[in-house]
Amino acid sequence: MTELQVQQTTAHWPNVQEMPFWLEKAIAWGQTDTPHTWKDISLHLKRLRDFLQQLLTEISSVSSTTETLNRLPLLGQLLGRLCWNPHVTAEGASRGLLLQCLLALYSEHPSNAVEGKANQWIQKVLCHLATDEEDGAAVALMKHLAVPTKEYHLNVLKKMVTRIQESIGNSQCSVSSTNKGCSCGSVWAASEACVPLITCPEASPLIGALLQQQMTCIREGLSENFLGALHSAYSRCDLLLDEQAVVSLWYQSLPSLEEAVLNLLASATAAGSTPSKVEEQVSKSLLPKACAQHCSVFLVVNDIFRTVLKQTERNERVKNVFQTFTKCFFMELSRLQPQPSASLKAFFPQSPPSLLIPLFTMPSEMPQESLKNHLMWVSSSLQRLTEEEEDEEDSDSGNIRGNHKVFEAWFLLVQCAYWVQVAVQLLVTSGPEDCGPLLWLLTFYHHPTNRWHHRASQLVQAKAAWDHLYSLFSIVAHPLPADHLQSFISLLAPKPQQPSLAPSLTLNLLVNFATFGQLPQSTSAEITQKVVHQSGLQDEAARVLSSLRLRLNDRGSFANDRVHLRIEELHNTIKKPM
Amino acid sequence: MEAVLKNVGRTVELLAVAAHSGVVNEWDEQTVTRAFHWARYCEHIYSRFHGNPVIRGVLEKQLQLTNHSLKEALPEYNAVSFLDLGRCQDLLLLWLLNNSALPISIMKMLFETKASADSTSSNYEDVRGLCSQIIQCKSACTVLRPLLGVPPVGADAEVQGEMLMERLGSTLSQSSDPLRAEDFLSSVLQEFEVAAEHLCPVIAAALLTTTDSAAQTASQDFLLDWLQSRRGTLQHVCTALPSKVLADLAKRHQKFRDAFCKLLKRWASEMEYRVTEGEWVHAATSSAVSFQKMTEHYLALFEACPSLRTEIEDELNARRIADGDFDVRGLSVWGDILLALRK
Repeated sequence: MTELQVQQTTAHWPNVQEMPFWLEKAIAWGQTDTPHTWKDISLHLKRLRDFLQQLLTEISSVSSTTETLNRLPLLGQLLGRLCWNPHVTAEGASRGLLLQCLLALYSEHPSNAVEGKANQWIQKVLCHLATDEEDGAAVALMKHLAVPTKEYHLNVLKKMVTRIQESIGNSQCSVSSTNKGCSCGSVWAASEACVPLITCPEASPLIGALLQQQMTCIREGLSENFLGALHSAYSRCDLLLDEQAVVSLWYQSLPSLEEAVLNLLASATAAGSTPSKVEEQVSKSLLPKACAQHCSVFLVVNDIFRTVLKQTERNERVKNVFQTFTKCFFMELSRLQPQPSASLKAFFPQSPPSLLIPLFTMPSEMPQESLKNHLMWVSSSLQRLTEEEEDEEDSDSGNIRGNHKVFEAWFLLVQCAYWVQVAVQLLVTSGPEDCGPLLWLLTFYHHPTNRWHHRASQLVQAKAAWDHLYSLFSIVAHPLPADHLQSFISLLAPKPQQPSLAPSLTLNLLVNFATFGQLPQSTSAEITQKVVHQSGLQDEAARVLSSLRLRLNDRGSFANDRVHLRIEELHNTIKKPM
Repeated sequence: MEAVLKNVGRTVELLAVAAHSGVVNEWDEQTVTRAFHWARYCEHIYSRFHGNPVIRGVLEKQLQLTNHSLKEALPEYNAVSFLDLGRCQDLLLLWLLNNSALPISIMKMLFETKASADSTSSNYEDVRGLCSQIIQCKSACTVLRPLLGVPPVGADAEVQGEMLMERLGSTLSQSSDPLRAEDFLSSVLQEFEVAAEHLCPVIAAALLTTTDSAAQTASQDFLLDWLQSRRGTLQHVCTALPSKVLADLAKRHQKFRDAFCKLLKRWASEMEYRVTEGEWVHAATSSAVSFQKMTEHYLALFEACPSLRTEIEDELNARRIADGDFDVRGLSVWGDILLALRK
């Protein structure tokens, strides 16, 4: 099959070469009506559409039909045959192009016998297509009963859809005999036949039923053309499917699933998206639901997240999407299974098993007093894990496996980052004796490895930041010690020689201290404003604050009115120009 | 009533213009939409009054007058009948598309195709894209039809049966005189003397539709009575349809069950034993019922209505005894039927 070359000049008529091919096809398609014919048609449908589009362009660019017919003598035959092929006329785009081609050949003022004849022929074809004048007993009866054509055919269509749905629902794969063909062949045939009907509104229950059919057969599945056409229609947002059908589509068509995930990531990280908008987008997307229903879907989605994370490690928005997604996913999983924790290993085969249940226990499910101990345990587990792997690395410099374990542990933590938020909040009320593990956890979240992220030295800086904040927010005296504040601000400034601490780490600490610390509201606000404006990090600070607000709005968080008021005040402070 | 007659008359004139006049060359989208609106109006008038003899008579008279004057003005004019009013939109479309003066802009409008799935095809008010939607429906039906195999009562027959019931129902409700409904059914059948086998599944489907209202049950009852009164039609139906369908009908309607059983007995009594072939054969060549088919009917009947078995077997046995109580094949059709049933 030669590839169609698209030429822009009208002097070139490449279609002259393609025409015999398509005419041959049209003739062949008209001769048999088997599933293999349908397969051939749906295989060629897209190319046929492109060809018809080209034909249309060229017919429209020539003013006289006589000339068109001279250049393309086979045109009439081809269009005529295609008009009688229901697989071509049932599909919206190809029907539209076909009809437009016919109408483009119609001459408003026929200048010779050829054009007059062409006009007659075109009108005849159109009339036959749109009316029932020649169709046999059935239509004669309907005429006698005075039932309009459109109503009759619409009712027959709906009835057929219902009947086929029923027969599909009843078909089961009998694996018993290998000689006898199983009825799954009929499901395949149905899916092949339905390719042109994917965007037909009346057929959408049938399309949905085909997608959700339990395909237990080894030999037959849904037609590849069917899934491919569904994917294209889905990309154009041209599909009318209910929720479960969409989930089934993702389960069966990997390209559709990938597209859905990437679309979600794009819209959730677009400029102007707030943490609450992200949550809304994620839960509306049906992806968490699909992941909860099918482990394989979740593994694909997770893999995409993994790849994206490796490329955008420092992007807090992206990390936020992962966290939100995991939360929604776990909620859906809990709806489906009474003991969701039992199946976590299947969903997270690469993550350290000992961390799964501790990280997937929601902070709201634990008493407030136990939170710190829990986090201490998590932190020390992760520390042990990183130490082990880094020791291995040092002793065996030829180790090409890289920080695989550490990465997976970190990936898991990113997805369960609500625990990191709790750690930051607890750092406000901790003293110098017990802030260590919590600071380590926070630093690890932002700078997971020593080799690439200089975790050890970042930890030192993080401790310094915390020290500053600890003393700033315990001094009740007025006015604020200016130098204290200055040295804190300088921590936020990027340094040319050494890698700098992630700004969101410092801002997160600041915002939490300002919200939960013991200083009066006005002082906290003043400190925050000075820091944020002098370091120029308003947007990031606002985002951090919104996340905090969202988390505290969740049921089960231990926030009271005072806290909410402080957050509002801080929000206004940050937004206020200096 | 005056206004209705005037409107109907005007619409028929409009149809004639659409069919034969060069004036359509100047029609635009608005004109076409209005034309279809009036055609819909006529369809509505038809459905309201087709069973009402008085009003129907008045309308038919008006049509006669209009047809006459149109024929004088346009020799090529084809008269519009009262029945045609019921599918006025189809007629309008047909005649427009056959008129060579139809402007290309109107054709483009009628055949406009929206590729997206948003197009709602159930909006009857829309003229734009009307033809494309019709083509989509018809094509979709053709595409799906092979997937259903060849069932005895197909989807088409089922829909036709439902529509038949609907029309019958409205005829019955519009006139207290049952003759109108009988005339209606007879006229339907008369048109299809040739295509009687096509009608049989339709009648079966009509009788098998689920009835949600007393009116629908009454319609089915009426059809049954009519069927029973027409021996030829009933016989034809029982010959043309497969055993399973007949058994379903018998299960559903007592009247049919009785009539069917009676028919089976009659067929059996008309059979002769052909020694050369070793088979019972039906004497009259007009009905193609074989002995085997008859036993199949009985077996299917028993499966659908198990309670019938003993009753019928007893009756068959009584007749066998009346025939001489022989146990040898070929002497009593009743005995042989019993033998075949017990195998």
